[in-house]
Amino acid sequence: MNTRITLVFSAFGFLLLSFCRNRQDELFTKPSHFPEPVYKFQENPLTPAGVALGKTLFYDALLSKDNTVSCGSCHQQSAGFTQHGHPLSHGINDLLTKRNSMPLFNLAWSTDFGWDGGVHHLDLFAISPLQNPAEMDESLPNVLEKLRYSKTYPALFEKAFGTDEINTERFLKALSQFMLTMVSANSRYDKWMRNEGGALTETEQEGLALVEQKCAPCHSGVLFSDFKYRNNGLPTAVNTDEGRYDITLHDEDRFKFKVPSLRNLAFTAPYMHDGRLGTLEQVLEHYSSGIEKSATVDPLLVKNGQKGIALTAEEKQKIIAFLQTLNDESFAKDPRFSESDAAPAPELAEFANTDWEKVDLRTDNPVIKSTLAKALSYYWGIKQGLLTDNGKESSRSAKLLLNLLENIDLSTAAPIQKAFYLKVYQDLGFDTEHVAETESVAHQRDHFGDLSKNLFRLIKSFKTNDKPLYYYTCPKAANGIGGFWLSEINDEKGNPFFGKNDKKCGQIVMTALE
Amino acid sequence: MKNLLFVVGLLMCSPLFAQKTGSLTLQFHNKVGTEEVVLKDKQYTNALGESFNITFLQYYVSNLRLLRKDGSEYVVPQDESYFLIRQQHPESQKITLNNVPKGDYVGLSFVIGVDSLRSASEVSKRKGCLDVGGDGKDMYWAWNSGYIFVKMEGTSPQIPLTGNRKEPIFLYHIGLFGGMGDKKTLNNIKVASLNFGKEKVKIKADKNVALGITTDVSKLFTGTTNVSFAVNSTVMAGPYSAKIADNYASMFSYEGIQK
Repeated sequence: MNTRITLVFSAFGFLLLSFCRNRQDELFTKPSHFPEPVYKFQENPLTPAGVALGKTLFYDALLSKDNTVSCGSCHQQSAGFTQHGHPLSHGINDLLTKRNSMPLFNLAWSTDFGWDGGVHHLDLFAISPLQNPAEMDESLPNVLEKLRYSKTYPALFEKAFGTDEINTERFLKALSQFMLTMVSANSRYDKWMRNEGGALTETEQEGLALVEQKCAPCHSGVLFSDFKYRNNGLPTAVNTDEGRYDITLHDEDRFKFKVPSLRNLAFTAPYMHDGRLGTLEQVLEHYSSGIEKSATVDPLLVKNGQKGIALTAEEKQKIIAFLQTLNDESFAKDPRFSESDAAPAPELAEFANTDWEKVDLRTDNPVIKSTLAKALSYYWGIKQGLLTDNGKESSRSAKLLLNLLENIDLSTAAPIQKAFYLKVYQDLGFDTEHVAETESVAHQRDHFGDLSKNLFRLIKSFKTNDKPLYYYTCPKAANGIGGFWLSEINDEKGNPFFGKNDKKCGQIVMTALE
Repeated sequence: MKNLLFVVGLLMCSPLFAQKTGSLTLQFHNKVGTEEVVLKDKQYTNALGESFNITFLQYYVSNLRLLRKDGSEYVVPQDESYFLIRQQHPESQKITLNNVPKGDYVGLSFVIGVDSLRSASEVSKRKGCLDVGGDGKDMYWAWNSGYIFVKMEGTSPQIPLTGNRKEPIFLYHIGLFGGMGDKKTLNNIKVASLNFGKEKVKIKADKNVALGITTDVSKLFTGTTNVSFAVNSTVMAGPYSAKIADNYASMFSYEGIQK
């Protein structure tokens, strides 16, 4: 009888398993050139409803104490799931965390999480940002209570887990389910590796050879990380964060941080655990000439008493050319991971393949003209606030600007103009909202550059300005990424990126729009 | 499948499989030396003469084993062997072990904290007092995955107000289970062993026996290392935690059978 029960049981189990397997494959497929994932899927089989619930939770600000910060606030898809433009991530009440938010992709291949690897299971990770006072500052029991009282969540949990019970395990596993689906393996490099067509240029292939020769074993394998903790010689005077040491308490782990992947670097700037390097050029410069010797600096970076990795200017260019092939554009736009999974506005879809640089968008449409004139007047208010370190004024003006841009009536505009406006507004609105929601000038400056850039793009493309407009670039502002702003005068002395503490920011470049 | 489990369950419960069992209750009495712990309102003095009060006190007791005279043990089933003693919740200070096989017992041992296997386990194994979204909420480091084994907070007027410190508070959050993988880290898991002495504890079928256990929490800062509130007011996941864990390893003592 025993044997029969076992047989019946295993047959049933096998059926169940194969059923789960099929559903799972649709949601998570191991790319053919990737190693086996380490996440134990059998403990948390992915289901469409589980992944959908995880996504809803990921983008829900209910997870934070004052309902303003979601996981997606610091992990934005277009930024490779990092926080766009922020050296150190910003959480609740604009508090700064001590590190750069890590990119989220290919998490099924990680055994521990965070820059210091303090969390040893993906399912346990979310508790950390949720309860960190500088991130979401909430408690897990409170979040579960909020979910239980919500109108929508009990039904979503029931769909995902069979009953409407909301508990720690289900909450965490749903978040993991969504994050596990975030596989990035469709860069040009990946397609080339899988022989799916598209070749790497000679320069790119030389860059790959250099990466394999000079950047391995740390950035090794198709995931471009060995997942170890290393001290990469960043000067410690700037930041006393001891990284891995705080977890292991071993002296040899002082100032060590996880080796990050080299994938999607185009989206995830700035770089390093504290975001101190703004560009890939700066990163390579650090490895060739900026290594600081210390008790724990990685031996690979100090060979025969010689600091750094020997790299010629040409080699650096080739490496950077290769790194560009690791950018997975489709991942950064995949609607499965987007905050809004609604299809793009029909106006936009129609012009999806338009090369906007080649289209003449000049217009006399009175609504567009008057709106952009008004927008500039609010923009001066934001800039004035930043010039005088008055975050309140910037915030107030940004709110007015946001309200104006949001409510523009484009019914009289031509379809192509409408589409272009909506396209630019996706970014312009985002940055304006961020300037509006805080009174911290530091945070406002993180978004002011892109805000200026996109407002200028609208005015320039529609050619709506009556007076000349000057576009300033200050290459060293915003952590080396560069700061941009507009002005009506051609010899402006002030710099909204440094406010009252006027500092040198490199050669300021000015472009005129007459 | 449910039916199958039901049948198996029935078989296990049938007289053929039944073992005569009773229950054992452990009543923990939290004290500072010989005085009862009273949160906030009561002042105590440590070995170094610093006065203090206690505002928060919780600790885990897990992996209980009952020792027989012949050296064999009754091991409480793993999933039923985790308890969180919370000063603010008197009911949590009394734990009852059911299905204890009848017989004579001479001693008891348990882990102060949470064993490393469960500390590293996946989330479905973290229920009841181990649920960090429930009763275990104050006993977990989210940034350094691991349970806090013993947590005591309070104030002492001897603590100097320097830097950002606005109140003279001390925070002792002691945990660390040894880390994951090949690289071991600090392991503060301690085992308490209590001897019942001459008075054997007899478990009879369907009967309950209650034992009293004293937890002298002053031991956290008294022992091999006498801890000063003024000097070490905040001890969490750092090297100094080992000294406090060594101290509190001996904070439990057996009182006797409760009438």
